[in-house]
Amino acid sequence: MSSNQWLATGNFFTTYKQEQRTFFTSLDRSVFSLFLALLFIWPMVFPLSNQYMLVIDSTLIAIVAVMGLNLVTGFAGLISIGHAAFVGVGAYTVASLCRTLGDSHVVLTHFWPVIILLGGLVGAVFGAVVGLPALRLKHLYLAIATLSFQMIFEWTINFMTFFNQGQTISVGRVFWVTGKVMRKEHYQFWYYATLIVIILSGFGIRNLMKTRYGRCLIAVRDNDRAADAMGMHPGFTKVYAFALSGFMAGVAGALHAYLYRGVGFESFTLHHSISYLAMAIVGGLGTLNGSFWGPVAIQFLELQVERFAGFAGDFLPSSMNLATALRPLTFGLVIVLFLMFEPRGIANWWRIVKSYTKKWPFRY
Amino acid sequence: MSYFFQIVVSGIVVGSIYALAALGLVLVYKSSRVANFAHGQLIAAGAFIAYALTVWAKVPIFFSFLISMGVTFFLAMSVEKIFLRRLIGEPIISVIMVTIGLASILDGLIYLTPFGSENFSFPAFLPRTSLSYGGVSISWTQLVGVVVTMVLIGGFSWFFKKSTVGISMRAVSDDQFAAMSVGISVQTVFGLAWATAGLSAAAAGCIIGNITGLNFDTLHAFGIVVFPVVILGGLDSILGAVVAGIIMGLIQQFASGYLDGNWGLNGTGEVMPYVILLIILLFKPHGLFGIHEIERV
Repeated sequence: MSSNQWLATGNFFTTYKQEQRTFFTSLDRSVFSLFLALLFIWPMVFPLSNQYMLVIDSTLIAIVAVMGLNLVTGFAGLISIGHAAFVGVGAYTVASLCRTLGDSHVVLTHFWPVIILLGGLVGAVFGAVVGLPALRLKHLYLAIATLSFQMIFEWTINFMTFFNQGQTISVGRVFWVTGKVMRKEHYQFWYYATLIVIILSGFGIRNLMKTRYGRCLIAVRDNDRAADAMGMHPGFTKVYAFALSGFMAGVAGALHAYLYRGVGFESFTLHHSISYLAMAIVGGLGTLNGSFWGPVAIQFLELQVERFAGFAGDFLPSSMNLATALRPLTFGLVIVLFLMFEPRGIANWWRIVKSYTKKWPFRY
Repeated sequence: MSYFFQIVVSGIVVGSIYALAALGLVLVYKSSRVANFAHGQLIAAGAFIAYALTVWAKVPIFFSFLISMGVTFFLAMSVEKIFLRRLIGEPIISVIMVTIGLASILDGLIYLTPFGSENFSFPAFLPRTSLSYGGVSISWTQLVGVVVTMVLIGGFSWFFKKSTVGISMRAVSDDQFAAMSVGISVQTVFGLAWATAGLSAAAAGCIIGNITGLNFDTLHAFGIVVFPVVILGGLDSILGAVVAGIIMGLIQQFASGYLDGNWGLNGTGEVMPYVILLIILLFKPHGLFGIHEIERV
């Protein structure tokens, strides 16, 4: 094809290597690196108070979890109503180490990256075990299997004394090369840690979708009989998908444990599973950047709802708890409206905006 | 030995409530292949409407039960019309997610009322004493609850077997295109399926409310715990729902009667249905009476 890229219309790849590149143009790459640099620099330029930093950190952790959910629900097309339980498995891996070793044992404070990975691995094991019914089941049955895992998880945490019966299990402060991470820099520190996790797993997932296994996932989602006929094993592909999503969830859970410096049962309930699903749907199922948009949008919405509830609560009798009512209400509305009117999520808006700016002033 | 029979009796009481709650889920699944995750909220709505009518509007209690069944009938029908009709033909994942979203919306609406946070109980209209025989006792409320449940289930199975509407519902569940070609309005059938599900949910809600008291958490938890029941019974079988409901009730009561307190276990009754659910899904996913339509791809 044309050697002059300005003459070509569309994408012309002459080698496989070209097609497998992460960035197609150098402009892409530089814009992306600039964006990443911004993400790293802004907390130093505009230091936020701990309260706001905590919100941002928990959004980032939700992004990690939703990336995992998007793998299983978006790319492989299997509904998981137990994602919060997988996040909880990661968090309780850290918590059980705290219970056995003591909450500021050197393993937990100095080797925390290893512990986070360990949380991910335990999550992956649980994901694979819960995904086992996927060898035989589809759709609704699988959704119910994950739901039952969620319920069993909640029961196990609530009734076992080892897990403090759902009460908070504290996790010690970690050490970095500069010494113990104290209260002042705690939230900034975990901002960077989570950001790095997100970047690594983002590239990981993006590349995964270019491998044999990633294409298997999409083939199985689109038509599992055809995928079977083409020599893939749909059952095992689904179990792998569950394991991978469990891994991401476990990492998110371990990060959650370290960020909040404690693990409590109330962060991993069915309600949270549903809000992870809401995030994935609002962001756009089956897209990588949807995993970023969704948590940000839902977190923003939640903040607005809380502000509105605080504002409107002044005019209403104090017995009415407006925030607890409005949160599920807006959640449900957002899920239903997106599914009815924009099933491809915010990622689709992003795509439209991008193609508009790229082609401006032309229509197409 | 009377301990054993007491557990059997309470298992049957709990189980028949499960059966009634599961009935609505089966009705919707049977005709439209939608698993309704908002069923627990419908149950709660039915119970609360009945309570509001009896206590706040001073309607006689039996009429308020009937009116609340009527209200949820139309509530469920309009839910189907507004939200689910647009999704016919969409992938199953979006349909399931819409019902989850609906559950969340109804949750929010109920939290706006005083019912979201406080406990209520129906005014007593049956004798407070309980019947006992040989050390086994059952309260009047429970007994009437079981009888009403059995009557309702019998009525629903008659409705499906004999009435024209019921037969057209079965026809739609069997083959939508064939049903359309013989002149059945599939849309009406979907609406009616939801409406009858709403009606049975309100009935279940009133019975549960009379037996256990009105608490939103326990009432909407029924919407989740019916899933083990319907899976065990087979998703599209009314008989399965009844049998599985009673089996599940017995299992639950036996678990909490014999396992709790031993080996440091506690609250096993809550978790047993889900453990059984996972086992069934692994080995016999179509349940006891369900149609064998699981493909092994």
